[in-house]
Formats: sequence, C-alpha cells, structure tokens
Amino acid sequence: HSVGAGLCAAGMIAIVPGYISRSVAGSYDNEGIAIFCMLFTYYLWIKSVKTGNIYWSALCAVAYFYMVSSWGGYVFLINMIPLHVLVLMICGRFSHRVYVAYCTVYTLGTLLSMQISFVGFQPVQTSEHMLALGVFGLCQIYAFVEYLRANMTPEYFNILFKSLVIIISSIIAVGLGVLTLSGKVAPWTGRFYSLLDPSYAKNNIPIIASVSEHQPTSWSSFYFDLQILTFLFPAGLYYCFSKLTDHNIFIILYGVFAVYFAGVMVRLMLVLAPVMCILSGIAVSSSLSTYMKYLDGSGSQTKAASKQGKGRQDTNSTQQREGTAYLFVVLMTFFLVTYTTHCIWVTSEAYSSPSIVLSARSHDGGRIIFDDFREAYWWLRENTPEDAKVMSWWDYGYQITAMANRTVIVDNNTWNNTHISRVGQAMASTEDKAYEIMRELDVDYVLVIFGGLTGYSSDDINKFLWMVRIGGSTPEGEHIKEKDYYTPSGEFRVDGEGSSTLLNCLMYKMCYYRFGQVYTETGKPPGYDRVRNVVIGNKDFELDVLEEAYTSEHWIVRIYKVKDLPNRGTR
Amino acid sequence: CLIHFYKRKMRVLALLFLAPLFLGACLAQKKVLVLLENVAVKETHSLYFSMLQRNGFTLTYKVADDPSITLKKYGEHIYDNIIVFAPTVEEFGGSLSAEAMMDFVDNGGNLLVTAGSVTGDVLREIASESGFEVDEDGTYVIDHHNFDTKDGGYHTRVISDAQNMVKSDLIVGTGKLPLLYEGTGLLTDPSNPLVMDILTGSSTAYTHNPSLPIKEYPHTVGKATVMIAGLQARNNARIVFSGSLEFFSDEFFQAEVDTGNGKLVPSGNFELAEALSLWCFKERGVLRVDGIQHSRVGEGSAPEFYTIREMVQFYIDVKEKVNGEWVPFKPTDMQLEFVRIDPFVRSTMHVAKSELIGTTFKIPDVYGVYQFKVNYQRLGLTRISTSTQVSVRPLRHNQYERFIVSAYPYYASAFSMMFGVFVFAFVFLYHSDETKKKTE
Repeated sequence: HSVGAGLCAAGMIAIVPGYISRSVAGSYDNEGIAIFCMLFTYYLWIKSVKTGNIYWSALCAVAYFYMVSSWGGYVFLINMIPLHVLVLMICGRFSHRVYVAYCTVYTLGTLLSMQISFVGFQPVQTSEHMLALGVFGLCQIYAFVEYLRANMTPEYFNILFKSLVIIISSIIAVGLGVLTLSGKVAPWTGRFYSLLDPSYAKNNIPIIASVSEHQPTSWSSFYFDLQILTFLFPAGLYYCFSKLTDHNIFIILYGVFAVYFAGVMVRLMLVLAPVMCILSGIAVSSSLSTYMKYLDGSGSQTKAASKQGKGRQDTNSTQQREGTAYLFVVLMTFFLVTYTTHCIWVTSEAYSSPSIVLSARSHDGGRIIFDDFREAYWWLRENTPEDAKVMSWWDYGYQITAMANRTVIVDNNTWNNTHISRVGQAMASTEDKAYEIMRELDVDYVLVIFGGLTGYSSDDINKFLWMVRIGGSTPEGEHIKEKDYYTPSGEFRVDGEGSSTLLNCLMYKMCYYRFGQVYTETGKPPGYDRVRNVVIGNKDFELDVLEEAYTSEHWIVRIYKVKDLPNRGTR
Repeated sequence: CLIHFYKRKMRVLALLFLAPLFLGACLAQKKVLVLLENVAVKETHSLYFSMLQRNGFTLTYKVADDPSITLKKYGEHIYDNIIVFAPTVEEFGGSLSAEAMMDFVDNGGNLLVTAGSVTGDVLREIASESGFEVDEDGTYVIDHHNFDTKDGGYHTRVISDAQNMVKSDLIVGTGKLPLLYEGTGLLTDPSNPLVMDILTGSSTAYTHNPSLPIKEYPHTVGKATVMIAGLQARNNARIVFSGSLEFFSDEFFQAEVDTGNGKLVPSGNFELAEALSLWCFKERGVLRVDGIQHSRVGEGSAPEFYTIREMVQFYIDVKEKVNGEWVPFKPTDMQLEFVRIDPFVRSTMHVAKSELIGTTFKIPDVYGVYQFKVNYQRLGLTRISTSTQVSVRPLRHNQYERFIVSAYPYYASAFSMMFGVFVFAFVFLYHSDETKKKTE
C-alpha cells in the first residue's frame, strides 16, 4: 500500500498481544514461527501476483514449504490463495500474471509440501486441499478458454464453450462425488470440520472440544488481544475497498476469513492478529497522511491565498482544517499510546506470569509462593528409578518429561487419542478396574494435581469431566457414561450428595486420600474442599492398589506408587 | 622331609579354610527349624526326621512355646524352612508369631504346617493368610466307606486313594498306594489362583465332629474336603498345610491299610511325605533362569536397537534342580511373547542344540518399544517371569528400496522427457524458416 502503512503495521505487530501470546518465552509453540512464515508467504504471493514473475512465485512456493514444515495451519494458506484466485476470476481481474503466479506456486508448493512426512499424500487425498486442486484446474480451463476466445470467431467459440463447460463440470462433479463416497478422497478431518461446524467437536470428539483454546471466542478476548485494532480494522477495510487492486482484494479476503475463524476458536486469534495489524496500519497511515497534508500544506496555502488576496474566508477555512487536522493527529497519537500501554500491560499480566510457580496474597497482604510443582517433579527425579513410568493427565506430560526426567504415558502432543482415552478410563474407573489398565500400560507411579487445600482451581477434579468424556469416547471405555458421575438432579458434586460412581473412582480417591482429616478453613469441618466449597462426601477410605508416595507441601501435587500383586494371593 | 611336612601342613590348612565354604554351599537352603508340640513328637515321628536328614537337611528341634526361638539374626533369616508339628499351640514362644511366619514366607522361606482336630489360633491365622481355612475345633474328616478298621469306630481314620492327589509328580511323587489320614479338614479359597489341593478326600468324605449329631450341612463334603493343601506364593515360597499330624507319624508310615477286599496294603504315607517335603523345601520342581540372549539372526550379541521386519533370535537358559544338581530344563511348551502393551508375536520355544531354549521370529511392521516376555507357570514348578525391553525403530531413509519396480514407467518417462527436451532445444534453436529464404 505505502511505506508508511507498512511501518505502522510493523510497529503494531511487534506488540500485539494476540501474537505475543504464542511467541513469548515460556509459552512458545509452533505458531510463533508459523505466523512469520505465513506472512512471508503472503508477501511473496502478493509480490508474484503484482509482477507475474516466475522468480517471485518460486520463492513463494519455498516460503510455503517453510510454512508447511512449521505448522498444521498451512491449510488456511493453501485455501486462502486459491480463494483469492477464484475471487479475482469472478471479479474479472484474472490476468496472465495471476495465472503464472498461481500455477507455479501450486505445483511447486504442493510438491514441496509432500516432502514433509506428516503431510505425505494428503494434498491429493483430503478435502481440505481440494479447493486448491479445483482452482488449479479452473485456472487452466479459464486460460485456455481465453486463448481460444482470442483466436476463434465468436459463434464457434460460444458453441464450443457451452458444450465444454457442461461436459467438464459434469465430469468433475461426478468424479469428486465418486471419490468422496468411495473414500478415496477423505472427508474433512475433525480438526478442520469443527471450524465449519463448531458444534461437531463438542458432540463427537471430546478431546478436541476439551482443549480450552478450541472454545469459541468471546467479545472480551477480542478486545483483550487487539484493543484499538478492532476499531481500525473496518476503517482499513474501507480504505482497501476504495482503492481496489488485486492485492487489496487479497487483504480483504484474508481479513474477513480470519475474523470468522477467530470467532470459532480462540487459538486462531493468532491468525487474525497480523491481518488486523496490517489493515489497521493501512487505516492509520492513510488517515494520518490525509490530515498531515493539511498541516504541511497549510503554510504554503495561506501564502498563496494571501498573494491572490482571496480574503478572510479562505484563511478561516484553512485554519479550521488545520485545527481539525491537529485534533485528529493528537487523537490518533493518543490512540496509539493507549494501544502500546495496553499491550505492555496485557503481556506482563496475562502472558508472562509463570504458571509453574504460583503466588497468592495472604489475608495480611504478604505474598505466599506455591512452588509445589517443581518440588514434586524434583522428588520424582531424585526418588524413583530411572525407568519408572508416570501416569498423569496429558496437561503435565511435557513438564514431567522435562523436569522430572521420567517417561510419561501421555503428554501434551495429543496425537494418540486411544491412549489418552485409556488413561481417562483408568482415572474414571474403580480401583480394581483401574489396576488392570495400569498393569497393561506398565505404570509405576500416578500423579494428580489437587487444589482443594489451597484453592487452586485448575486441578484434576475440575478437569475430571473431560477425562470421563474422553475415556468414554473409545470402544474399550463404553461402560463409562458421563451421566453416572452426576447427581440424579444433574449436578457435579463431590460432597455427600455426589454420585457413588464419582465418590469411588480412582481420581477421587487419589485426590482426597487423607483429606478428610485436614482442617482447611476456620469454622469449617475437616475435609472442606476450597475449590468446590463443600465438605467431601467420602472421607475415611483406604487405598487398595496404590500407596501414597509423595504429597507436596500445599497438597497441590500428589504422587502414588502402584503396588505389586500380593505375594500370597488375591487382594 | 621337612618340605613334605610343611606341604602336608599347607594342604591341611587349605582344607581347613576351604571346608567351611564347601559345607556352607552344600548346606545352603537346608537349614530347617522344627517346632514340636512336645518332646515326644520327636520320637513318634522319627522315621520322618531321619528321612529329612538323609536328604541332607540340618534340623533344629525346639518346642513350640520355647521362649528362645528366633527367626532372625542381625536382620537375616537364620533358617530356610520351618516345620510346625504343633497343632494345639496357642502362641509361639520367643519372637515368633503368625506375622513373623508370613514375613518369613514373603522373604522366600518355606513352611510345612500340620493342624489337627483341635487347632490353635496362631495356626488358624497362618492358614487364613495362606488362603486356607481350618475347620472348627473338634471336627474330623469322616468317611463311612473308606475307613481303616483300626480306628475307634468313629470312621475318622480315613483312607484316601492315590487318585485324590493333585496331578503333579513333582509335588506328590509317583506312588500309587492308598493314604491313611486322621485329622481335620481344610477349606481352600477358590478365588485364590495360587492355592492347590494336594490331597483331598474321596467323594464319600465329609468333615464333622463325630460325637455330635449332624444338624447343619458340613463345611466340606466329598472331593472338596481338603486334607493337605499347598500354596506357591508369587515369590516362589511354598507352604504345605496338612490337617493331620498323625499323617507323618511312624505309626501311619508303617501301617497296613485294609482296602476293603481283604488285602492288606502298606500305606503310601511315607512316599507322599518324602515327596511333599522335598517339593516344599525347594529340592524338586525348582527352575532358575541363568541367562537371556537376544540378537539379530546370524549375530552374536544384542544390538542397540532393532529395525522393523528384521529376523530376531531369542534364547533363554533355564535350569532345573534335580537331585541337588542344576541340569538344563527341556520343556516343550514354553512360549515367548513380543509385547508392546499387547503381544504382537507369541512363539513356542524349542530346545536348541546348546541346551538353550529359544526361537526365531520376524519383528512386526510396527515400530515402538517392545518387551521380550517369558511367563512360564506350571503346576509344581516355580514361576518364571522375565521381561527384557528393546526398542524397534522404523526404516531409515536409506533403508527403503532404491528403485521401486512399479515406478519404472515414471523413471522412463522422466528420462525420455529430459532427452526429448534436449533434442528439442537444438531443433528449436537451429531451425530456420523456409519462407525467409523465399522472400530473399
């Protein structure tokens, strides 16, 4: 658009919280690199569309390869580019530059992406890539048609065109239908299908639905992550529309689709943040340049006016314009300053505080530090055999692997749903059934997170319903039904009213072992859970198949050892 | 002369130093503590004790409530086996208790206990910890069809056929003679997989107090009347529990049994007692694993990791204790499992020429962390349970076929295209139009 817009956008992207949430040290995931790759690919795409050079298109394909190798979100890219081409075709802006650019990018890009073993043959087999393939075919047809149109007489052309269109479209439709029905072309995978139909995951695949980042976004998160960008975004869109070029259409498409997807899933706010910055940069730069003109030119204009002797009216109007320009510039500066402070505050409060060491304020204002996680992981590291296997919920997998240096059964890279479901079944079953599962998985230690003593609310009892849902989602876990864990009136309670299945399952017993004798709050009986705010229902019980190995200082992390079979017979 | 003298002295000294070592090695596993009801038992069961001593056991006799009994010295168990011939003792002397006995078993010691029609509480506790239950005080095993005529008319001295023994030569020997028994009956826990009924009554036997009228159903009836029960714990410690002390007495060993058709047959008690004691004290039916080897076929030592679809050979060296010596064990039904949560390969092993037991198989097409598991549990033998963890990796990028046969057409088309473009380049560059010449 202009150098100023670019600079502005760059400044905004540097501090936008939506992007920082994924690239700050300690909360770093693939997306940190992927967003850079994506923007680089888009930049090269726009450049190749502008110039029609094979050189830029080839570079774009290489950047696309970099993107594929870093994040699964490349699917967004491989659908956005064909969509752009399609829209250009519909708008009648299809030219040989676009043709050259797209053909090169698609062929080279697909070939390169198939080198990544995770992607493999997906670009020709799954529905997510079919749009790209379809548009590629359409490009060829369109270009061919244009070529014919340029070299043939109109009547011949019309007949040929109509018949060809009918034949080819019917072949494609039938072909696609047959392939999809026969399973050769796989239907949309769960992760992406849930973007189109948000209720799909909640009903069918609990493990995708359970990740908190996959929940739909609330309005407050939009403002939290983007602040004034949300307001400047429509302004930027307007500026793009007013000067419609190929690349502006691309930005508009990207912006609109990113907004839709960010609304479906909180995690995709990350994809939205850069385009918001770009469009807002355009808006800011365009509006500032419009008004700056009045500030710069006002001096010369007044001189010219006085030379021509036009009179007071002109000076008044120029003064007015000057005033509004000053006002506008000051306002814009104010907005940008607040944006900066907001970003800094958000980053320091929400995205930088460590979640491995918690702190809280006591009633007299002093700070209490809960270092239980590190304490427990270090205990595991020092006091268990090197080849011990630890079973916990998948949230803590990477932490245990890194800090305790022990093998875990499931970790944050949740790609084996059956295995996680097995762990969920073990946590949700009674001790005897769970013991069979633990022996099958060769488990030596079990780790749970319990917040009832301190009031730490992201503990395993609060996540327990997800364990039940995930455990019951595979064939071996069919006996685990979510409604068994609720009271008859449909509530999830851990006190005396709670369902007996819940009060006797392994997770409950591990969390609340010996808790019935602990006084947690003044004026309340022992066994008062400070997160659920009730006295627990099943207080004095013994564990048959586990023995308590370690409980951290504030009872946040509890580790149990799996007992061997008894020497002289059954339990 | 002097040299000879000194040499002899050296030899004697050497023998003196080494002898304890030899003795120690021979006497390993053979120290038995015998707890007696009273000193008279030593005389009435002399044949049994002399049989044990003939088999190499060193016996230490103590009366059951002797306060000087200790099982442990400096934290180690002094004895390897314990015999309790004291059915009516209420409490053991010294530091001994039912808990100490079970601790002894859990640390690998073997136990042979006899109860009687009146059984003390401590023995009842030991029985219940081992998976049996002793019937109430005053009850006897009664069989009105198979009894010895020399009893007091109550039909409590019963005869049990050799067929009622557990089907394992290792435990009960090969005797076929009938057995004489007078004592209480035992109940075994059916849900305990480690318990076995070594000797049961005939189908006409039952347990009850012979002097009381029968008002309720007897606790054990028919073949469920267990007279001698056994347990092999998961650590391979063995417990034999008999309901009768008289079973092991000289009188019963030398008795002649009237089987009913007038013929008098010597009782088989001695053979059974000997076989049982040898089995219980780990002289028979004992296996040990001397070593495990696994490698790729053709190689000698275990590699760091395996690759999918490789041929693997696995050998295990198992020895059995026969007459005090460890000889190679030659089973026909020992299986090897190649497990990654579930077994992928289960292969019956055969005896290889070097007296190792092994097999060869192909690693499946799935990579991961596997375990070689051998689980061998047979009636009368100690358990073998070993597991060796190995990792199986997928093919490296250069282990795939270099040229795929079904891709030859594509290779051909690629190369022909290259050649064609090359020729075309020449044609295109150096072709000149005819028309230009014409116009000139």
